Amino acid sequence: MIHHIWFIMIASSVVYGCVHGAGGQLLEAALLGSGKALSLTVELCGGYLFFCGLMEIAKASGAQRGLQRLLSPLLQKLMPHVQTPEARGAIALNLAMNVLGMGNAATPMGLEAMRRMDTERALHPPVKHDMEMLLILNATSLQLLPTTVLTLRAAAGSANVNAILLPTIACTALSTLTGVAAGLVCRRWEERKHAG
Amino acid sequence: MPVDLLIPILMLLVLCAAAWKRLPMYDLFVEGAKSGLRTAVQILPNLAAMLCAIQLMQSSGLMDALCGLCAPLLQKTGLPAQTAPLVLIRPLSGSGALAMLKDLLDRYGADSRAGLIACTLMGSNETIFYTVCVYMSAVGQKNTGYAIPCSLLGALAGVWLAGMLF
Repeated sequence: MIHHIWFIMIASSVVYGCVHGAGGQLLEAALLGSGKALSLTVELCGGYLFFCGLMEIAKASGAQRGLQRLLSPLLQKLMPHVQTPEARGAIALNLAMNVLGMGNAATPMGLEAMRRMDTERALHPPVKHDMEMLLILNATSLQLLPTTVLTLRAAAGSANVNAILLPTIACTALSTLTGVAAGLVCRRWEERKHAG
Repeated sequence: MPVDLLIPILMLLVLCAAAWKRLPMYDLFVEGAKSGLRTAVQILPNLAAMLCAIQLMQSSGLMDALCGLCAPLLQKTGLPAQTAPLVLIRPLSGSGALAMLKDLLDRYGADSRAGLIACTLMGSNETIFYTVCVYMSAVGQKNTGYAIPCSLLGALAGVWLAGMLF
């Protein structure tokens, strides 16, 4: 999919630029853009190094396990069909890591959860709905602290880096709640269709 | 401002908890920072590909044309036209959105209305299509059911709220 997006971005720019007489600036733009990746990476490094370091300490202190325990009763409600402890554990760990902003480490755990749920689904088809719910939770962003955005704001010379902190948390909460509510409605609807 | 204290207090809490448990916190930080550095280096080529495409869109004038085209639609949701490219690419590509945000902050400033809204959008949304694709491919399934429309609806609610808050 990314190939298509990238192709459309570049091909339409080149065509649009050539038609509007900006063809001569395109090579310069391509080189400038690619080069900017280095300065952006340098800007991001401060945040990546600091927050990943801090989160490693938080993880070792048991923040992840605490969150996992906190989330378990809620997960029982949202995903009532999954039964095996291995799958439940992987789901809770995936979500706890997402909340803490360890997205890169959360993905392998999420894939593990999906595979275990898929095995269960063969015996108990309604597990499908629990898989959909895990997808929705992962795709509506659970991360509470927007660490990368804060880093970029600081690098851009913002006078008030933290101004977006509370709005971001509010928007994350609303988007996740809306997604989950919609998912529950779809589940109810499909189950009713199946029964009737 | 109390919100400014949020992260400093979090830092203090994490370090105190580690001290209480007598953890080797310096080593842990270094270990975590190592993985952060790996991530930063790993995404550099992706950012280069995306920033290259974005710079081309800008120099060719396509970006402004696109913003102008989306402006009336976005105005209905209360969002500034400058955020249109970010809204479009956010659910599709994480590094693309990151590159777009950087570009937006450079051009309009981090404390402009467009900058504030863009930051909120970036922080409160996820790469929906990419995430669902990766998770579904793990179980070798093509049919994603209702996960994508529900997630998009959620993202839309978040986008709407971001426009309302600033």
